[in-house]
Amino acid sequence: MKQENIGYVSVVLGPVVDVRFDTKLPKIYEKVLVEMGEGKFITLEVMSHTPPSTARCIALEPTEGVSRGMRAYGVGHPISVPVGESVLGRVMNVLGEPIDGKGEIKAETHRSIHRKPPEYYEQKSGAEIMETGIKVIDLIAPYLRGGKIGLFGGAGVGKTVLIMELIHNIATEHGGYSIFTGVGERSREGYEMIEDMTKSGVIDKTALVFGQMNESPGSRMRTALTGLTLAEYFRDEMNKDVLLFIDNIYRYIQAGSEVSALLGRLPSAVGYQPTLSTELGALEERIASIKNGSITSVQAVYVPADDLTDPAPAAIFSHLDATTVLSRKIVEQGIYPAVDPLASTSRMLERSVVGDEHYNIARAVQQTLQRYNELNDIISILGMDELSDEDKAIVHRARKIQRFFSQPMFVACGYTGLEGRFVPLKTTLECFSAILKGEADKYPESAFYMVGDLDEVKEKAFR
Amino acid sequence: MGAPRKISVVSAAEVSKEQKARIERLFSSKHKGETVEFEYSIDKRVIGGLLVVDGDEFYDGTLRSQIEKINPNYLVTEEFADAALTAKGRRGKSVKRRSGKTKLETAGATAADIKAHVDTELIGAVAEYKKSFDVRHAGSIVFCGDGVIKANGLSDAEYGEMLRVENGAQAIALSLEEDCVGAIVLDDDDKVTAHMTVKSTGMIVSVPVGKKLLGRVVNPLGKPIDGLGDFRADKYRPIEAPAPAIKDRDKVNTPLETGIIALDSMIPIGKGQRELIIGDRQTGKTSIAVDAIINQRGKDVICVYVAIGQKSSTVASVVQTLTQHGAMPYTVVVSATASSSAPLQYIAPYAGCAIAEEFMYSGKDVLIVYDDLSKHAVAYRAMSLLLKRPPGREAYPGDIFYLHSRLLERAAKLSKEKGGGSMTALPIVETLAGDISAYIPTNIISITDGQIFLDTALFNSGMRPAVNVGLSVSRVGSSAQNSAMKSVSGRLRLDLSQARELSVFAQFGADLDEATTRVLERGKRTNEVLRQDVHAPMSTAHQVVLLYIATKDLLGAIPLNRIDEFKEQFLRYFDVHHAGILKRISDGELTIDMGISIEDAVNEFSEYFLGREHA
Repeated sequence: MKQENIGYVSVVLGPVVDVRFDTKLPKIYEKVLVEMGEGKFITLEVMSHTPPSTARCIALEPTEGVSRGMRAYGVGHPISVPVGESVLGRVMNVLGEPIDGKGEIKAETHRSIHRKPPEYYEQKSGAEIMETGIKVIDLIAPYLRGGKIGLFGGAGVGKTVLIMELIHNIATEHGGYSIFTGVGERSREGYEMIEDMTKSGVIDKTALVFGQMNESPGSRMRTALTGLTLAEYFRDEMNKDVLLFIDNIYRYIQAGSEVSALLGRLPSAVGYQPTLSTELGALEERIASIKNGSITSVQAVYVPADDLTDPAPAAIFSHLDATTVLSRKIVEQGIYPAVDPLASTSRMLERSVVGDEHYNIARAVQQTLQRYNELNDIISILGMDELSDEDKAIVHRARKIQRFFSQPMFVACGYTGLEGRFVPLKTTLECFSAILKGEADKYPESAFYMVGDLDEVKEKAFR
Repeated sequence: MGAPRKISVVSAAEVSKEQKARIERLFSSKHKGETVEFEYSIDKRVIGGLLVVDGDEFYDGTLRSQIEKINPNYLVTEEFADAALTAKGRRGKSVKRRSGKTKLETAGATAADIKAHVDTELIGAVAEYKKSFDVRHAGSIVFCGDGVIKANGLSDAEYGEMLRVENGAQAIALSLEEDCVGAIVLDDDDKVTAHMTVKSTGMIVSVPVGKKLLGRVVNPLGKPIDGLGDFRADKYRPIEAPAPAIKDRDKVNTPLETGIIALDSMIPIGKGQRELIIGDRQTGKTSIAVDAIINQRGKDVICVYVAIGQKSSTVASVVQTLTQHGAMPYTVVVSATASSSAPLQYIAPYAGCAIAEEFMYSGKDVLIVYDDLSKHAVAYRAMSLLLKRPPGREAYPGDIFYLHSRLLERAAKLSKEKGGGSMTALPIVETLAGDISAYIPTNIISITDGQIFLDTALFNSGMRPAVNVGLSVSRVGSSAQNSAMKSVSGRLRLDLSQARELSVFAQFGADLDEATTRVLERGKRTNEVLRQDVHAPMSTAHQVVLLYIATKDLLGAIPLNRIDEFKEQFLRYFDVHHAGILKRISDGELTIDMGISIEDAVNEFSEYFLGREHA
């Protein structure tokens, strides 16, 4: 290996390492290796240049054991990862190294993880609905093929289960390539994801990238880019329609905020990095659909302290075509998936896109639920008996709709003991239309809970 | 030429002339062209050998450094040095006559005379001492205060390395800056002063691990604090270690029985799972964890209880409870009480985790309790702010999530190739006014595989354990349940949370249909079945029988307020008359026939139970 650019470690502050170069400074985003002895290296990425002739870098691996004066050298290019069909069926880390124990990933092409987003003139926006088989999503906040979808939720409201259900329902049907990127989530989930994908055979068309929560902030900051780079290659060079799952995009921002102060930046609102929106923009703008290929992305977004106004989720909202909001209040009612039908939105819920029927039913359902919310206050003061018959009917229907939004999920079969249901959009529309018309008033509320369609409600009611 | 270079030589006894000449020749040739001055001093505590200090370089060939290597916590006192020197002197005489093995014994026999806490084996090790020089760099403290020190020199210090201050205090290097090293002091921080010498040790902070710790109470550095005497561990492990890689893991597939019916049925915990226990103060969080430890008796599970920022009396009462229930022989308690310094509280869970890891990697099942991580977060916040890192939400530093994620990710179920051991973690978090959506609680919920939420209102209304079923969940445990338990508990959780939601709605006087009333009534009875006293673990077979009765609605005839009594007596009756069925249930079997026998038994016993009342 040619080692022209040799420098020496001068400062170590946790994940931030300063390297002084007496010759030529490596470029911003260039990969720098620190020699740890015994043939071991630690990978750094240059973030800024500070006087005198120092490259301030972020470590992508833990820095325990690094000391001042260690030799480091710039390799001349940014971190680049293997791309192309050879990554399918494989699991890699942020550096593109295999972590599935199946040996080297033999790829002909490597690509830098830092790239420019597609140009304005290349952008394409579709208007085709992607059916998920999940009633509440298809009805209230339908997903756009080639679009960007966010699943928002606080801790433990079921984001990961929902994203896994979407992988089950969409990726299995999709037939094309999928990329799954685990950023800052549980290693156990990573293991289970690989296990499930191997079982269902989806893994042959999927590449997985993991930088989980036990890894250093530098690694979590870059894992999303690695996953995205794999997807971009399929889109740009092979003209494919790719599915990109990111769980969890919030962790990307969080990792950035962990190192921001150590890089010498002043903190912004709630302690986040001042570069929050540009960092996010650099990532989100690359997830785009272009004329010859598309990336449909489903991103889980963690909402810290259940606060949707937190700067990070607030910034992510604006990048998305459809948002599915999961709520703790709904979890408390035992309704899964805990989608909040009044907070979830989609750019696609327009007459011109989904058609009159779908639009009318969806809006009527939202109105019923909204009315129930308002009536709830009256009920809690005056009691149910004070309501008009019409309002009483609305209350009962709304409660049935709420329960009917619950649905057994394939991936949750383990804990609910119920086989999952894929409900086609057509059936969903028929069912909700019937409930709104009062055709299902005769069935008890509990019959609407954890079922697929109205036939099941009937069956459950008579049992 | 500037000032002369000073080189100081420290030894336990007077240095001979020849030795002096050799040292002076060596160091003069190292600094050719400079004037070199030599200073000789005597310090008994080096015990033997020489220490040469040249600038910030320490050429350490002393016996003391050997002892520190064996036990980094050991502070060599003059008394110890005396004893060791005597031992060494005698050894010198006896060596000629005795073999290597007895050599140790002689040293040991002398050691037995000296103070009880002095470890005999340490002296043994000293006797075996091999001459070797360690080159270490040192520095001098330029700033100290609030448990933080900055020292110059120390040019070879590694990030995360343990440093040793001359008064014996230990510190962790957390920032390597251009001209100084920032570190946090773990113990005796009040005795550290400016200008003291700090040495690097070449070691990452480690704790003693292994079987010798079982039954002991230690501080986060592995020093025993239970007054039962010192011990010499066979092995040390660094407190920070990477979590098992994805490919080294296995599915969580065996239950970790807590003996608490509400948990084992609805929020089951599997070996290798991380399950958060969360709730306001005084809602029984610690009791649940302690019950889980007690229930591991005879199940070949090692337990580690880590107390962080607790008051000493609480820790003492936990240890007492564990002792009373015979749980100490398989338990290690790591305690950093409220009076410990913030850095010591900060490393406590990592130290506990390292102790647990040793058992996990040797193929054992381990249960570790962190009580509690909210206090840990507070200690880390204190430390970070003192290190001048900028505050974020609730003034916690930006890496507060990573603080807990890298800790809890170390709990795992290992694959067969890695020995198949497991570490189950039960972190505890205290909430304020039941707010689980605060920052630290949600952070930790997003790390763990589920949470057990304890509710003050339920606790006060007499429901013990006060588990709020709606907000509690276990993401992996159900795949670890045995099939008998699975068949009776399948929909229990969902049914109960529905019943709870309905009961709120029913208060508004809505007309209830028959189905709804039934759900409500069943919910009430199920709740009674789930009620359980503290420190009274129940076997899985008993749990299955009770749940079978509850789900089949067989308790209709029993008045609500007598269900508790009925449970107890019925189980005793069942033990006597149907031991065979219990045996089969523990093996995971629950056939229709067995169900019918349980039903018959209930009917028979209820008649007797209610009849006795009338008579």
